[in-house]
Amino acid sequence: MPSDNKRKRRKSSPKKSELDSALDQVGDESVAAAMKEFQDLLAQAKGDTAEQIRQNADELERRLVLLKNGEIDKEDFDFFVENQKRDLRVFIDSQPAQSQERAEKLTLKILEIAVTKVVPILIAMI
Amino acid sequence: MNAKAAKNLIIQNVFLCAAAIVITSCGTATFNKSGSNATIESLRSFELAFIDEFAVPGKRFNAAAFDAKVNEGNAKFQQAIANEKFTARRPVLVDLKSQFDADATHLRSKASRGKVTPALAAEMKKDVNKIYDHALGQQT
Repeated sequence: MPSDNKRKRRKSSPKKSELDSALDQVGDESVAAAMKEFQDLLAQAKGDTAEQIRQNADELERRLVLLKNGEIDKEDFDFFVENQKRDLRVFIDSQPAQSQERAEKLTLKILEIAVTKVVPILIAMI
Repeated sequence: MNAKAAKNLIIQNVFLCAAAIVITSCGTATFNKSGSNATIESLRSFELAFIDEFAVPGKRFNAAAFDAKVNEGNAKFQQAIANEKFTARRPVLVDLKSQFDADATHLRSKASRGKVTPALAAEMKKDVNKIYDHALGQQT
């Protein structure tokens, strides 16, 4: 029954992360859509079967929260993103051809959206 | 000894020689791999100690000490790359050297302006451990 499923899903949905709570505050519709895309991709990556994809997503989320809280600055964040990219290239190249596009989407693309769209929003919130 | 017995003896000896070659070559490969792993662990310890020494919030930046440590690191990495007997493993060490270069550049920039935070130091060390774990995992 659909209504039962809905109720179940709502019951088991985890508490919002610190990052999600911050990004949900975005009012502008076009920016909010980009944030939603980012949050969806990040959630997918965090639930992926590949350890390196999950690890990358967890690191990114943790560092976005550190940036938002002023514990690291944008220079540090960009430095860590470059580290992540360097490490991920080896991982993506080692994937079978048919999995590379998905791996890239759940790693490098998320990092790209974080740098170009999420970071400016978080910095504006500080 | 008849001809059949002599033939059997030759076959037995050939088999024993082949087995000995396989066993000793496996032993050599394991020895070389463990030697290579020990080198990587030594580079990891050096890099973590480097971060511990210079990524300290509020510590006055000593450019001479910093440069001396970077030079020491460069020499260690170059020696490790030159000493690696299996050329296929050299790119792993080259990647680790690139990480050391990037860490040194960022740390110099931040420490010289007094902009090191505890979170920066902690995250740098996490990245170092991750890249070294991957390097040890991907070795052939």
